[in-house]
Amino acid sequence: MHPTTLILSSSLILVIAILIYPLLTTLNPKLQNQKWAITHVKSSVKTAFLVSLLPLVIFLDQGTETIVTNWHWMNTALFDINISFKFDHYSIIFTPIALYVTWSILEFASWYMHSDPLMNRFFKYLLLFLVAMVLLVSANNMFQLFIGWEGVGIMSFLLIGWWYGRADANTAALQAVLYNRVGDIGLIMAMAWLAMNLNSWEIQQIFFLSKNFNMTLPLLGLILAATGKSAQFGLHPWLPSAMEGPTPVSALLHSSTMVVAGIFLLIRLHPLMENNDVALTTCLCLGALTTLFTAACALTQNDIKKIVAFSTSSQLGLMMVTIGLNQPQLAFLHICTHAFFKAMLFLCSGSIIHSLNDEQDIRKMGGLQNLMPMTSTCLTIGSLALTGTPFLAGFFSKDAIIEALNTSHLNAWALILTLIATSFTAVYSFRVVYFVTMGTPRFLPLSPINENNPSVINPIKRLAWGSIIAGLIITSNFLPSKTPIMSMPLTLKLAALLVTIIGLLTALELTAMTNKQFKITPTIPIHHFSNMLGYFPAIIHRLTPKLNLTLGQSIATQLVDQTWFEATGPKGVSSLQVKMAKSVSDAQQGMIKTYLTIFLLTTTIAIFLAMI
Amino acid sequence: MTPVHFSFCSAFILGLMGLTFHRTHLLSALLCLEGMMLSLFIALALWTLQFEMTGFSAAPMLLLAFSACEASAGLALLVATARTHGTDRLQNLNLLQC
Repeated sequence: MHPTTLILSSSLILVIAILIYPLLTTLNPKLQNQKWAITHVKSSVKTAFLVSLLPLVIFLDQGTETIVTNWHWMNTALFDINISFKFDHYSIIFTPIALYVTWSILEFASWYMHSDPLMNRFFKYLLLFLVAMVLLVSANNMFQLFIGWEGVGIMSFLLIGWWYGRADANTAALQAVLYNRVGDIGLIMAMAWLAMNLNSWEIQQIFFLSKNFNMTLPLLGLILAATGKSAQFGLHPWLPSAMEGPTPVSALLHSSTMVVAGIFLLIRLHPLMENNDVALTTCLCLGALTTLFTAACALTQNDIKKIVAFSTSSQLGLMMVTIGLNQPQLAFLHICTHAFFKAMLFLCSGSIIHSLNDEQDIRKMGGLQNLMPMTSTCLTIGSLALTGTPFLAGFFSKDAIIEALNTSHLNAWALILTLIATSFTAVYSFRVVYFVTMGTPRFLPLSPINENNPSVINPIKRLAWGSIIAGLIITSNFLPSKTPIMSMPLTLKLAALLVTIIGLLTALELTAMTNKQFKITPTIPIHHFSNMLGYFPAIIHRLTPKLNLTLGQSIATQLVDQTWFEATGPKGVSSLQVKMAKSVSDAQQGMIKTYLTIFLLTTTIAIFLAMI
Repeated sequence: MTPVHFSFCSAFILGLMGLTFHRTHLLSALLCLEGMMLSLFIALALWTLQFEMTGFSAAPMLLLAFSACEASAGLALLVATARTHGTDRLQNLNLLQC
């Protein structure tokens, strides 16, 4: 066998095997050592990352992609399901990035969760999540993708509700599961349609056969699935609520890896969508709405993790817009670069939170520039990368997306919304940096500020390097399959930068006003709209259950009990009989004579009727 | 309507009217019931003869057997009534009267 394909396939299967090995050691009933999390899990992820660099380099050099089909799992008469892994452009690049980010997060988590007695279990859950994610991105058929999809959903539930003694955490975990379930309906509907009409769940076969079909229905199902998993508008409240989980969970699941699963699904199955205008327009408008709405909600939040969560949601909306533009590779590029700086923002937040004795409100932070220089520097780097500062990681993907947006023939409303959201990104990022690092401290004097632990600093530094150079590395080495439009007017070319700078200047102006009373009375309604997340959770989480429960109650009481049982069912029949019997016995008055006379009358009438 | 037909029809109707229009005793009702059965017996026997369907030859015997059962059931009821109410006068059967 040719050495290239041999090395490629075997190293990728080895990556998955290395990740699964620590999970198998937990099946051993013998007690593991106390530092199992560090000795087994973290080193396995690190090893898996280093091993996965090999296929990456091979792909860089020769552009090889591979599909590995291992096992014929099950079949009915006409339908086969295999275990097959597809290692193409997307999964070969995503796997090392995900492993790098996870390695940093695990190292950070060994510091963050060190006082937790169940730390080993925490690491096991994170590792199980990672395995499910790798299965998802490398799946070559819908069944395996569904396994990974559900796996990440379940691990998200277990990890968000890690501190299950807290009622808010349980509510948030339940919210995550329910919203993801609504999205799963779309995925299952798409899978059922594919199984019925194309008779296959293998992605290659689906691509080949889909040319003859009108794919609108399964595509809308897939978009619903992405809406649920990637927190697009309508199914978005679970993502800010998911910040109830520990910060490593937020960094891994809800910034870099799990929430991009929905977008990844659309990227993987993009050839189905290329020619379907309904699906593309839906993605575009939904993404634009999401990115603006969540950016607007992020403007007035006071919890640092919630601001970063909304920023994640906004970037996911941007990725959805990119898919709607028929540019899956740009969306993928944004996934990769976003993973770095968003995970780093979360790790910096975690470091700050622990240092200020679990304080998460940015109104009670301040002046950390001098007290936690490394963390605040990396926070600034991450925020700059997020806003798309030229030549940091976010620039290559975000600017390319805005350029593609400006030069495509599309809905102007979506374009305006996305540009406004880009300027809002600058505003809330600056707000975070201002409140956290600048000014004078607003926290208690005896806070245990300490960032000298190498397990805090090294991950953040690694991710900072990633945030700076990842965009450059990926764009210089991997050619886009769709030619980007290179020539456009100067204003359009600089559009992203201009709106970002406008946002930044507005934010600076607003911060200068914080100690001056500009208006006698503030405009409360707009602030409340943004702070209460557009009232979406307040309305939907109360209205929908109430409507459903009252419907259930009216069905059980009025329909079943009062109508079917009393009026039409058994009791109705008996009451009717009783009425008839009463009216007849009223006429008879209990006397045999009248009874028999009526009997004669009926019989004669019957005889005469028979005669006629 | 042939005379034979008329005769057992009128026998049946007379028995029916006797069943319904009696005024005093339950026993007379039962007797009229027996009369009705008898007219039905004759009707079934005539059916076999008139339509020349030999397959129905057993039918009158069956009717007779069942009417005997029915008469015995009626007499048992009469005896039970006599035991509980003392007589078989229909004025006493007024437990359900409102």
